[in-house]
Parts: sequence; C-alpha cells; structure tokens
Amino acid sequence: MNTNFIPATAVIREIIRENDTISTFRLELINKRVPFSFRSGQFCMLSVPHCGEAAISISSAPNALPLFDLSIRNAGELTNAMHQMKAGEQVGIRGPFGTPFPMADFANSDMLFVAGGIGLAPLKSVIDHCLFQSGLEADAVANITLLYGSRSPSEVAFTTAISSWKEQGIDCRLTVDAGDDSWHANVGLVTELLQKELITKNTKSLICGPPVMIRFVIARLTEMGCASHDIFTTLERHMKCGMGTCGHCHLDGKLVCVDGPVFSLEQLQTMDVMELGT
Amino acid sequence: MIDLQEMILEKDRLIPLLRKLKKESRLIAPVTNKHGDTLLSEINNIDRDTIDLDRQPQNSLKSFFLPQQEILAHYSVDTTGYNFTAPEAAKETIYFGVRSCDLTALLYMDLIFSKPAKDASYYDRRNRSVIITLGCNDPFANCFCEATNSGPYLDYGYDLQFIDLGSSYYVAAGRRKGADLLNKWDYFFRTVEEEDQKIRYQLFLEARGRFNRNIQVSHACHKLQEEEVAETIWEKLAGRCYDCGGCAYVCPTCTCFSVDDMAIDDSHGTRIRSWDACTSSGFTRMAGNHNPTDRTRHALKQRFLHKLKYDYQKHGKASCTGCGRCVDICFGGVDITTFIEMFTRDAS
Repeated sequence: MNTNFIPATAVIREIIRENDTISTFRLELINKRVPFSFRSGQFCMLSVPHCGEAAISISSAPNALPLFDLSIRNAGELTNAMHQMKAGEQVGIRGPFGTPFPMADFANSDMLFVAGGIGLAPLKSVIDHCLFQSGLEADAVANITLLYGSRSPSEVAFTTAISSWKEQGIDCRLTVDAGDDSWHANVGLVTELLQKELITKNTKSLICGPPVMIRFVIARLTEMGCASHDIFTTLERHMKCGMGTCGHCHLDGKLVCVDGPVFSLEQLQTMDVMELGT
Repeated sequence: MIDLQEMILEKDRLIPLLRKLKKESRLIAPVTNKHGDTLLSEINNIDRDTIDLDRQPQNSLKSFFLPQQEILAHYSVDTTGYNFTAPEAAKETIYFGVRSCDLTALLYMDLIFSKPAKDASYYDRRNRSVIITLGCNDPFANCFCEATNSGPYLDYGYDLQFIDLGSSYYVAAGRRKGADLLNKWDYFFRTVEEEDQKIRYQLFLEARGRFNRNIQVSHACHKLQEEEVAETIWEKLAGRCYDCGGCAYVCPTCTCFSVDDMAIDDSHGTRIRSWDACTSSGFTRMAGNHNPTDRTRHALKQRFLHKLKYDYQKHGKASCTGCGRCVDICFGGVDITTFIEMFTRDAS
C-alpha cells in the first residue's frame, strides 16, 4: 500500500556540533529496500518521531556512504526535536530527491564556492566530492576557493571541515558581519570577498545562503563577467512530498523538489524568482 | 483491446440495475440529503436514498480518491525502533451519475499522481473504481465545460457513459470494465436503434447551445504563453481573496496537499495527508517565518497560472474543467472566470 510516504529507518551514528544552533547528524540506513545512493546537491525528507518531515540537504559526499550527513539548524519544531536526539536513536529517511549539481561539467574548472551560514551544507557535499575526485585526472577540478560568511565569530560553523580543507590546499576565506577581539579574519559581507583575481574564464560559481546573499553575490559575479551558465545556486523551499505532487515548492511553473533544488542562473533568469528580486 | 459497446437502458430498469451493482461493490451516486443538498455519497439503501440526477452534486469525485484527510501510514516509536506500516486497502467502488467535468478532473489526477512513481493510496482506490458518467443535457448556471473541452458529453475516459434520452438512457462503454458490466448485465439492456442515435445527437447539439456563460479559456491559455499578466490584475484579485481556501477545496483538479504526523500517544501515531491550498498564506512559509511568495500581491497568481499557463505548457490542456463550483463558492467574486475575463479583456 502507500509506500511513497513510508521512510527507511536510519540510525544516528554520530552528532557533530558545528555551532550553537547547527549540528551535523551522521546517519546510516538500517532497513533500506534498495541500495541507497545520492549525488551532491540532492536532499532527503527527514522524519523525526511525532514531528513529521522536513527537506534537508545532504552535506557529505557520496564516497562516505554508507554513512551520510544531514547538517541541521535548530529553527523550528522538527529541527528542535532533532537537536534533542542522541547517537543510537532512529529517524526516518525518504529520498534522495531533486537534481544534483552537474559534477561532470566541473572537470578542470576553477571552483568558487560562496556560502552564508547553514548554506554551506549542500556545498560541503560538493567540496568533499571534488576532493575525493582530485586523484582522478580526468574528473578533477583545477582549483577550489571557498568564501564563507557568518553573522558573528561564534556562529562560524563547519570549522572542523574548514580546517581539513585548508590542510588539503583549499583557499578558504572567512568573514563575519560583526567581529570581536577573538576574530582575526575578514569583517564585512561575503560579497566584499568577491575580488576580480578570484575569477578566471574557467570559474564555476556555486552559491548557497540567505536569499538576499544569493541575490547580491549573483549580481557581483555577473558584474565581474561570469556567464549565467557558470553560476549555480540551490534553493530552499517548504516541501511536503519531495516528489513533485504536493505543490508547496512551486516556482513559476517549476517545482523546486524535482526541477531543482539546484538551478543555474541561466535557468533562473527565465523565471520569476524571489532570490533574484524579480 | 476494448470492445466498444452501446446499449439502451429503459429508465424503469435503472434502479434494478443499480441494486445488482450495489450487491457487488460499494456504490456512490448523487444523493439528496435531509438538508436538501445533493452530494456524491455512498448509497446505503437503494430504495430509501434519493438519487438526484437533475442537479449538480456539490462535491466532485476528488474526495473519494484524495480524501480531505487520509492516513498514509501508522508509525510506532518503541524499544524495537521507529517503524512505519501501510494503511488498509481500498474497497471496490462503482461511481454512478458522475458529471463529465468531474471525470475529466479525475483523468487529470491520474496524471498528477503517477509521477515520478504511482501514488500508492490514490492508485489503490483508482484501480478499484468503476466510473459511470452522466452526460449533461442541461448545463448548470455557472458551467463552462464546453470551453474547457470537458463536456457536456465525453468521448473517452469513462467506463460507462449514460445519456438521458427522456424515457431511456443511451449507455456507451469506453473502457474494459464498462464493457464487462454491459456484458454481465446484458438482460437489463436493449440494442440501440437508429432513432436513439438521432435523439442523442439532437440532445447533444441542444446541450451545447444551452451554456449561459462564454468563458474564453483557450484564448486565455494562448495569451498567457505570450504575455505577462499585469500586476494590477494580480493586486485587484489578491485584494478580494479572503484566504478561505474554498476554491481549492471545491475544485476537482486542486490536488495540493500537506503531510503531517499526529501523535496518538507517546509511542504511536499516524502520518496524515490533508488538502491544502496554494492561496493560503502559510502554504510556502518555511521555518523561521521566511516566505518566498508575497500573498498581499500574489494570493491567486499560482492558482490561476498553474491551471491555465503551466498545465497548458505541460499537458497541452488547461486543468480547469469548467464545473463552475468556484464561481458559486467565492464570496470575494475572484474565481477563475473573473481572472479570465479581466485578463482576456486587458489590452496591455
């Protein structure tokens, strides 16, 4: 009978506290019906007992399977209940859903990631995947640069991942809206880190963060000469099914859950999209 | 291969036939209730229930295939873990007296609930259904199914189609299950005479001439492919939408839904699917109150563009079936016909 809305069971193997409000939950499926695989940029519908479901991006790379990560900000009822859960407890997973980033098109490109807050979660999957592929000559990207903005030093998340990326040679530039005595990196909006020398003819830009950040980063990249087919973002919407039927994630004739959440700027320019301020 | 068949059923044989059908499965038909309202509902007693084939049922078929609330799964949280089980299977059901617009809407729902995978609950009900339609000889006050190509008679999609010829019904089988019924109960029917066909055709022509309303649906669909709707139109419509969701609930093709888990006790609960409406202010709101749609300007934009622009692009046909129910229910007067009239008259 209705199997469409029945999740597979996942066990929380590990919880990594990223900051005061964001934690990464490392999960493993235990009763999957078919082998679980996904691609960077896809999301899952997460079930938390008595709270229902929410759409959450996968923040780890496929090579880490059978373990996979959901990085979750404590922002509402379900996410708050998730933050009360402990390692060993069970949640439900449906998916993966949505279109992934076009990883094959990124070979030999200069990758520029621009993220704000929890927006680094879906991009983290791509960065980890690029690093995993770096030993594969044909598929490898040429360079990776990350520009990451947070509101304050205490809100900087994914610090463990960022340290590891730095060690592996990724140019990570962090900024906060308002600094304090402990902060020695940049202060200001993430758009201020977008300098001309970061852009080459080969640059592919991947953006995720608050809508207003997406809008200004896209505007700045376009001003610096990036083509619309080289700029990608992933959109967040309220979703109930993940499969293109419930209607909640409508976007000017498209559905973010099946036609997205990853879109190129070229696609978005033909639509009426709040993130672009149209 | 469907063996298409056409037969005549004299009216005095209708109730005996329905009595036979009811013995085999659940029977749904338009019934007048104690308040005088006609609704598609289950026949409990074929001799006592008042089957009303003269008025439009206030509800469409939607709630029988996509119930206003339904259980999608049961769950438990205990020492064995977090487990889900599927709900009960549907019952075999025959629907009689379904109007052309409502079957057209069901065919649209078949499409919506088949991608990317077949929705198990919907298709369980659908596969156990037989639909017997009744062509409309006398369209109701707000009907415009001719403009949406979904009536007054149908060419396909029904299991059986009844056309009222006065003292008898002209019955045509369109699908296997309908043909099987005709074969099984053939002694209720007589063969079609040339005169029956003439009367049927004459009634069809007369019915087409009886529509009160001339709504430019296909003109609106074409125009929407070419140009944007003026912001002033959206704002005027939004200003008179009171967020009641009535249009979406009575609409036979509004299938947007919500899914929520309801706890029964600490260790049990159900996953419930319920109707939702894109016109509602909370429809797109995310955690933290962030909302990507501006309801004050665009309360009705998604509803009308979905039916007339996006579905026309995707399926080559608008997903309004001209049933007119939203015209009756909207107390702000901003139903789909208002929009079509404003937009097609707008010279911008």
